[in-house]
Amino acid sequence: MTAMLFFSSLACLTLAIGAGRHPRLWLTLVLCGAVGVLTTALGILGHAEAWTWRAAFTLGGETPNFFLDGVSAVFLIVVSLVGGLSAIYSREYWSDRQYPASAARGRSWGAVLILGMVLVPSLANGLHFLLAWEVFAISAYFLITLDNTKSEVRRAGWLYLAASHVGTMFLFAFFTALAAQTGSWDLGPMRDQTALAPLFWLALVGFGVKAGMFPLHIWLPSAHANAPSHVSAMMSAVAIKMGVYGIVRYSSWLPLPDGAGWIVLTLGITSALLGIAFALAQNDFKRLLAYCSVENVGIILTGLGLAILAQTHGQAAWGRIALCGALLHVWNHGLFKALLFFGAGSVLHATGTRDMSRLGGLWRAMPWTTGLFAMGAAAVSGLPPLNGFVSEWIIYLGLIKSVMTKGDMAQAIIPVVILLAAAGALALAAFAKAMTIIFLGAPRTKPAITAHECGWTMRAPMLVLAGLMAGIGLFPTLVLAPIGNAASAWSGNWTEIPAMPVADLGQFHLVLFAVLIALAAAFMSKVRLQGLRFGPTWDCGYAAPTARMQYSGGSFAGIATEWFAWILRPSRLVRRVRGHFPEQALALERIPETVLEKAIQPVSTGVVWLADGAKKMQHGRLHIYILYVFAGVMILGALAFWGGIQ
Amino acid sequence: MGRNTVTVLDIAVRLLAWLILAPLLPGIITKVKAWVACRQGPPVLQLYYDLFRLWNKGVVMSDLASPGFLIAPAVTWMAVVAAALLMPLGRAGCVFPFDGDVLLLIYLLALARFCTAWGAMETGSAFEGMGTVREVSFAVLAEIGIITATLTLAIQSGTITLQHLFAPLPGPSAALLAVGLFIILLAENCRVPFDDPTTHLELTMIHEVMVLDHSGPPLALILHGASVKLMLFAAFLVQAVLPVGVMSPGASLAVLALGVVLVAVAVGLVESLTARLAFRRTPLLLTIGFLFCLFPLILTWMGGLHG
Repeated sequence: MTAMLFFSSLACLTLAIGAGRHPRLWLTLVLCGAVGVLTTALGILGHAEAWTWRAAFTLGGETPNFFLDGVSAVFLIVVSLVGGLSAIYSREYWSDRQYPASAARGRSWGAVLILGMVLVPSLANGLHFLLAWEVFAISAYFLITLDNTKSEVRRAGWLYLAASHVGTMFLFAFFTALAAQTGSWDLGPMRDQTALAPLFWLALVGFGVKAGMFPLHIWLPSAHANAPSHVSAMMSAVAIKMGVYGIVRYSSWLPLPDGAGWIVLTLGITSALLGIAFALAQNDFKRLLAYCSVENVGIILTGLGLAILAQTHGQAAWGRIALCGALLHVWNHGLFKALLFFGAGSVLHATGTRDMSRLGGLWRAMPWTTGLFAMGAAAVSGLPPLNGFVSEWIIYLGLIKSVMTKGDMAQAIIPVVILLAAAGALALAAFAKAMTIIFLGAPRTKPAITAHECGWTMRAPMLVLAGLMAGIGLFPTLVLAPIGNAASAWSGNWTEIPAMPVADLGQFHLVLFAVLIALAAAFMSKVRLQGLRFGPTWDCGYAAPTARMQYSGGSFAGIATEWFAWILRPSRLVRRVRGHFPEQALALERIPETVLEKAIQPVSTGVVWLADGAKKMQHGRLHIYILYVFAGVMILGALAFWGGIQ
Repeated sequence: MGRNTVTVLDIAVRLLAWLILAPLLPGIITKVKAWVACRQGPPVLQLYYDLFRLWNKGVVMSDLASPGFLIAPAVTWMAVVAAALLMPLGRAGCVFPFDGDVLLLIYLLALARFCTAWGAMETGSAFEGMGTVREVSFAVLAEIGIITATLTLAIQSGTITLQHLFAPLPGPSAALLAVGLFIILLAENCRVPFDDPTTHLELTMIHEVMVLDHSGPPLALILHGASVKLMLFAAFLVQAVLPVGVMSPGASLAVLALGVVLVAVAVGLVESLTARLAFRRTPLLLTIGFLFCLFPLILTWMGGLHG
């Protein structure tokens, strides 16, 4: 039954690749495939049973081997849900009318991407896994560069491709070493083979690049910002989760080296804090969302790192809580990040700019987008009663419970809790900025005045996501059991459900939500009754306010940018007002991609310089080549001679 | 009477107590400031009169603002009141205790902050933008202070339920934590030396500048919510540093009430005796507040290891 459902959905997705030229057929096929995968995954997660299927034929010398358990199901649910919704969204956002050159191409590659991402968590053969991984990675490249007339987009695509392949290189090393040491390409739990432990580092780097873990995130901001928004949503909500999947999966299957938990925890909390600091400083709203994904991957890895620590120290009580939090955050981030990117796409569609400081006051023209984006912003800041709070709360619970055990590791977890709190408060600042600078106040430029609301096919996916977010926030007990099953699949020996008063939290959320709605409605009617007059912004009596006087994105982030200047390295160009008849003043601020521009580019420039130097040795003059050979022989002879004497 | 009726009654009584008593605190602070300055000052109940007057007024709203301008204060108020209801009252305990409710309390205050920021940015005024930025930025430092204090209490008591969180701390830890939480209280409630709630049009203000354009019932909700928040922080401070949890029920309530009033008096004295900090020094003082919360954490940790 599961096999039939799963393979027919794979067939639908495969057919959809060919149906790029027929939008309706394509959408039907993709949706059928997505629904099929979703049903399969839900079934597996609900029954807590793994499903395996081994083919009778071989492909590339290996038998295809499918393996679905709770861990893969968690990821398949995000893939199918966001994949299906972004397919609906793309109909209007990247329509044939607007992009005749690339719309059909985008649909075909979109189907390839979804298919690849369905295959990655379900294949249990190293060779086929690598094939699916490459298919997924390369289709993402073609999707990022759909609008390949812009040089910025092409550059982002190249950076993505290069970074992605650095990661893939590590994965090649990982899977081939694994196959060489185990003697088979088949994957599965191999906890008892302790000699395999060092391979975990290869997996961590390889998957970490894709997950956008700091400092391997360099490709992520530009790729997510320059891709079409429905692709950004898929990249940010799902594609980077494939990297997370790899880390989660192999921390469960491989024997873990000493310190793996600490390293994952440290990388997680670093990504969380620095990711959000970078996000806060951005002026391009899609870049802000992209950096925020670095933060959320950091939060997930923090929970996972704690779970690994608990695993190695035999502390099921809080390890399981932390893992449940991390896995739930995979869903939650998938939901609200897709919603936020859809919202960002709707703004981009209506105004044509990604620069926050050129927008403002969009709420009047785009009430739906404003409301939905606000909800996403509240959820991503972890505010109750929405879903983001539920998973962050569970992770906090795991962290604090581990501190309370006062074990030898608890000491080092204290700074993690404090830094996570700082990241949470910075996330609130970042999303208060995005929300208010884009949608509130006065429109700053003409595109912001002439904006229009998006159509129903773009709105509907956002509404679905918002509904699911509210659902998880208000009824968290519904997701606890399946997430618990996935956590059990991660670690076979943690079976009991830990004490997590999620039901109490849900009740509180429900009451809070109901009272909020009732109170807001009552309050609005009271205000209307007592009279509501409109006037210009009072602004302490200033008579001629202009839109340019508002706080901009840059000034909003000013204080926090100062605090993080050691890593953000903002560069400023300021021309102050001088003289009695001053010329125009000017202030420009640029936030560089610190890791890329200050670490990776200098190193690669150095490598290129060395290579250029070495190139001069090859010039086609035969007599000098003979000189090289002669000098080489002499050096070898000298070495042999001195070696002989000793 | 069934158990549910008792719970509902309990909630109703607490709600009324929070809502009615909270506006007393700003009155006490103002009175203390007046005494120190040898003035008579406005009556202690002045805020009640103001709230009543504002509650029955009409609203003037900026042309630029969306309906969110009116809803945001309501949500802010609601979030603060919900956080207050989570707070235990001495031995009377909580009405709705569960593991990790202290985190919910902290995040409800974050929800309040988000909505205040929203309401402020509606008007497109540069002043309000300035206040918002300061509020959300300084909150980062205040938040790590609060979470550190919570960790201290969690380690001391061995739980993360507010009901049992406030186990008595040893003297030195309690004294340090009192100072740390008091500094955070001053910052989060926009008091001198961080902010001056009585001035307007100052470039060093935080909260007051965010509500510059509000009027009528929304402003009433903002002022009332601010007083509830002040009382919430005072109650947290008192219970964190005084061994309220081991007293008899009546005594614990009396000590709590007295402690909260004392905190208000202390705020009044600080406001009379110090000047507002230069704006760039604010993060430094907040960091000191955080450190004052961190030392008791280390003390509790070490004490627990040897004890």
